[in-house]
Amino acid sequence: MHIAEGFLPPAHAVAWGVASAPFVVHGARSLTREVREHPESTLLLGASGAFAFVLSALKLPSVTGSCSHPTGTGLGAVLFRPPVMAVLGTITLLFQALLLAHGGLTTLGANVFSMAIVGPWAGYGVYRLLRRYDVPLMVSVFSAAFVADLSTYCVTSVQLALAFPDPGSGFLGALGKFGSIFAVTQIPLAVSEGLLTVLVMRMLVQSSRGELTRLGVLVTSATGRKRAESAGAVSR
Amino acid sequence: MLPIDAAAHGSRWRRRHPVDKAVLGFGLTVLAISLPPWPGAALVLVTALAVLLGPAGVPGRRLWRAYRVPLGFCVTGALTLLVQVGGPEGFVSPAEDGPLRAGELLLRTSAASLGVLLFAFTTPMSDLLPRLVRAGVPAPLVDVALVTYRMSFLLLDSVHRVRQAQAARLGHTTRAATWRSLGGLGATAFVRSFDRAARLQTGLAGRGYDGTLRVLVPEARVSVRFTLWSVALLAALTVLTLVLERPLK
Repeated sequence: MHIAEGFLPPAHAVAWGVASAPFVVHGARSLTREVREHPESTLLLGASGAFAFVLSALKLPSVTGSCSHPTGTGLGAVLFRPPVMAVLGTITLLFQALLLAHGGLTTLGANVFSMAIVGPWAGYGVYRLLRRYDVPLMVSVFSAAFVADLSTYCVTSVQLALAFPDPGSGFLGALGKFGSIFAVTQIPLAVSEGLLTVLVMRMLVQSSRGELTRLGVLVTSATGRKRAESAGAVSR
Repeated sequence: MLPIDAAAHGSRWRRRHPVDKAVLGFGLTVLAISLPPWPGAALVLVTALAVLLGPAGVPGRRLWRAYRVPLGFCVTGALTLLVQVGGPEGFVSPAEDGPLRAGELLLRTSAASLGVLLFAFTTPMSDLLPRLVRAGVPAPLVDVALVTYRMSFLLLDSVHRVRQAQAARLGHTTRAATWRSLGGLGATAFVRSFDRAARLQTGLAGRGYDGTLRVLVPEARVSVRFTLWSVALLAALTVLTLVLERPLK
């Protein structure tokens, strides 16, 4: 879910923009460096951005009978790492605002913070933690997608509660209000996105083992990574 | 191509420089969120609508199709302001000034959305992105955005076709089949995006690709007259809001 255009007061819109800027600038710098060193990466990164854009357009069945769309932040973070996702997510959100009237430009900073920064970092953190303890890949992928999705909506609730505190109970009341509304739809959707991400990853393991190895997803142990690096299979 | 971008390519203001339209469109959006919602955002809403349907020549039906998406979110978002949590009247009760706050929010968001739609409906992304380099955005970043933009349509088309093929093979008849099909769709999108990137790389390498994507950008100059008119309109809206604010309260 994106915060719509004009939904946040100007001070909040600017504040979330300022909060997101360092992450996006850091991601943009590393992406620029990567492209200057390896010009062919432009096409791969562009393809990754298009994949993120299309992933967010997939309709997901919901338990309520309606449908929603995945955020794609968990899968994106596992595949491309959070700093790259900060940039790709910003580009995707910009396109969604201008091409689909989804989200907005004044709320871009807030949406980037929840969907392109917190979601990917939270999902990736969980994924790395579970992989470190040799938890099976698919369980780690499910957890990453679930946590990324849910943390995105938790941050969105915080953003909305800060902007519109409850007249009776202030920020906490508003947080409970927005959080409980999201919980009804988003907990089932987070489970759905986790399942979808596992299905996508299972098929990718079968059909695109080379790409996954190149992205470092299928190499987890230090020895395995070293072996892959010496074989030239892992680029970073 | 997505409907808003397709409309932008056929827009009456297509040949205008993006800066002209950004001053007007984004100016209206900034006014919508900065001025008091009543009467400021209401005036912005009427003005943006008049410009969109009048001089910019955006067809009403297309505008409505794009506008109802953010409008739906605005309405559901504003509904939450109608109730309050806690207090002497119970755990959940109607908020005292809820309808007023909800109405103001609705006015603000609907007016701000129209400002951005004014820009989006008149400026194709392919006119905007290459010009961002001159605005200081690093060229590699713009190149990645350009590839993302162009590849998105191809991928959306691929996904649409795969979905049709899955439906034809009864891939959406049961819940389990739908999930399996969705997983396949996501994986296919990934594989195709990487495959396209690899083929594009091979094709560009054969044409001496040096890391810079050179694209033709339609010639356009910033119109001082148009920009001045836009600034005058924005200033008039601000003054009118400040004048009308007290008598209308």
